Amino acid sequence: MTLLEFRDYLVPGLALGALYSVIAIGYTLVYGVLKLINFAHSEVFMLGGFGALIVLTEVAPGHPSGLVSVLLVLLGLAVSGLVGAGTAFGLEKVAYRPLRKRNAPALIFLISAIGASFFLYNLTGKLFGRDPKAMPALFDNGVLFHVLGAPVDIVKLLLIVAALAMIVGLDLLVRRTKLGSAIRAVAQDPEAAGLMGVDIDRIVSRTFVIGGVLGGIAGFLFGLNSQVSFTMGFIPGITAFAAAVLGGIGNIRGAMLGGMLLGLVETYNVPLFGEEWRYVAAFAVLVVVLMFRPTGILGAKLGRTA
Amino acid sequence: MNRRKLSMFAALVVTGATALTGCNKGGGAAVVGSDGKAVYKIGFQGPLTGESSAIGVNMENGVKLAVKQANARGDLPFHVEYAASDDAGSPDQSPAAAQKLIDDESVLGLVGPAFSGAAKASGRLYSEAGLVSVSHASNPSLPELGFRSFVRSVPNDNAQGGAMVTYFTKRLQTKKVYVVDDKSEYGVGLSKVAEKQLKEAGVEVVKASVPSKTPDYTAAATAVKHSGADALIYNGLYSDAAPFAKKLKDVGFDKPKIASDGTYDKKFTELAGDAAEGWLLTCQCLDANVDPGTKQFAEDYKTEYKAAPGLYAAESYDATNLIIEQIKALGGGDGGDVRREAVLEKVKKADYKGLTRQFSFKENGEFAGNGIYLSEVKGGRITLKGDVDTLVSAG
Repeated sequence: MTLLEFRDYLVPGLALGALYSVIAIGYTLVYGVLKLINFAHSEVFMLGGFGALIVLTEVAPGHPSGLVSVLLVLLGLAVSGLVGAGTAFGLEKVAYRPLRKRNAPALIFLISAIGASFFLYNLTGKLFGRDPKAMPALFDNGVLFHVLGAPVDIVKLLLIVAALAMIVGLDLLVRRTKLGSAIRAVAQDPEAAGLMGVDIDRIVSRTFVIGGVLGGIAGFLFGLNSQVSFTMGFIPGITAFAAAVLGGIGNIRGAMLGGMLLGLVETYNVPLFGEEWRYVAAFAVLVVVLMFRPTGILGAKLGRTA
Repeated sequence: MNRRKLSMFAALVVTGATALTGCNKGGGAAVVGSDGKAVYKIGFQGPLTGESSAIGVNMENGVKLAVKQANARGDLPFHVEYAASDDAGSPDQSPAAAQKLIDDESVLGLVGPAFSGAAKASGRLYSEAGLVSVSHASNPSLPELGFRSFVRSVPNDNAQGGAMVTYFTKRLQTKKVYVVDDKSEYGVGLSKVAEKQLKEAGVEVVKASVPSKTPDYTAAATAVKHSGADALIYNGLYSDAAPFAKKLKDVGFDKPKIASDGTYDKKFTELAGDAAEGWLLTCQCLDANVDPGTKQFAEDYKTEYKAAPGLYAAESYDATNLIIEQIKALGGGDGGDVRREAVLEKVKKADYKGLTRQFSFKENGEFAGNGIYLSEVKGGRITLKGDVDTLVSAG
């Protein structure tokens, strides 16, 4: 790999990593409070993309620029975040809460989440058609500027900036707010938190919603970068789940790290080995890391409580 | 459960299973309609759901229109009905989709499977059932697999890949070509052909496979730019070609680009927008919207489906009529008991003039004619340039 190649793949790698990070956080948050994986999270991501697509198609003019572009992007972020939040909220109500009330074993949650995922996936395909759809142009998708001679286009920059903003915001929320303390308390010891007056059901629901906002927004950004279709959630969803495990499931900074790592590995694998090895490379990294650190990069050391 | 009950239970299971699999070798037992005419079905197997369903629905509409018109003409001694079978374009779902048509005894022939991978996966089942499958699947290896019921109604990808290469080497004098496929049976087959012929012409080749549904094509596009290639061939479907085209534009790859018939669809231009501009597209198909021979068909199609006929709609219409013609020639309906085997033999020997071209088949089911057309995306529309051989010889 030449220096020139190294330079040109950096921004796409970071952008893809940012995308995976944001999706991975959704998995990690839910795991943190419930010790369960939300396998329908990929559909939260997909529906966020669809929500933004439908609204923006209605309002976007032909060739927006300047302030209009900024407003359109903000609208897209708002709509996709809301749709993602709504989807996650509904998922928790339908696929998780009734089972939690009956103390179902973990496997049952897995099945109900996969069922919900299939339902949403096929319903979306049925309602909106099974063809991929293009996001309307929100700006002249030109190269914005060059960093060391490497082109940076707006979408990539938006991906990186939005992801960073969300991750920093979430970190602050979890560390500094009352809701954040409650989330951490439930993650650490739900029974004790309940005895101390924390409303566990509400906290679980809010955790889903926070992950849903991030997942939905990730869907919108993914659609801007590529296109929207009812099948779009599957591959990013699986990869982001792997990223969450890689970073240490339940650990927010770990999810971010794992996502970035996989995004960079997948992208840099192209000049090194070729596109065909994309997933081989990504999962080889996963396996190697887990061999040495079974709980992930930032996960708890085994034998000690988190 | 005691032993006697067990053996009874086993016997029940066995008979049930036999009834379900329906040892149906002859096939085509005539069902009689309300007016005493026999009812025969023409099937279609292809992607009616999933990412590639636009392609499947085009073909299905062509088949349905042919069936509708055949009944409306009223000159047939039998009724024709349509039987759909969805394989989502995937080899995994193909055997089940094939079984569905095979199990329906009134199905005498089918158009499809639409995709090469799916055709490969179900070919044996159709051969065993003696059910003729008239397919647009274009992978060159298909007739070599010993499927006796497979006939191809288009020139295969050796012709298509060859046409791409001919155009690049003779017309544009390219020296280094970047060949990309989508990892599907279809794309990989085409890429192999292109690579072989490019090397024979003394052109340098860089090959890459970018699996369908790759989340981000930026890396792939960057690799194309860094390769120093002066032309690109993409073998895959429009749903992947569109995001790839966008990223190629973003990274500034402005050399000639050519894509195969899976990309030949107006959805490619819709999805890729400005990035589709200047792409060349090859196809074994005719554009039914501009060809004088298909003018009436295009009008009928628009009336029926409120949309212009897309990729392979007219070819599917032709293939359906071809099968109906053969059933008619076999004396179907006039008390004649038409069987699948007879239809298969008849179709293989057919010489039928359709709207799009003359259809006849070689011994192994390969299409006997040729004709690859080249189009270009201009001003957001796919416009026909002409037959590749003619274009090249015109210099």
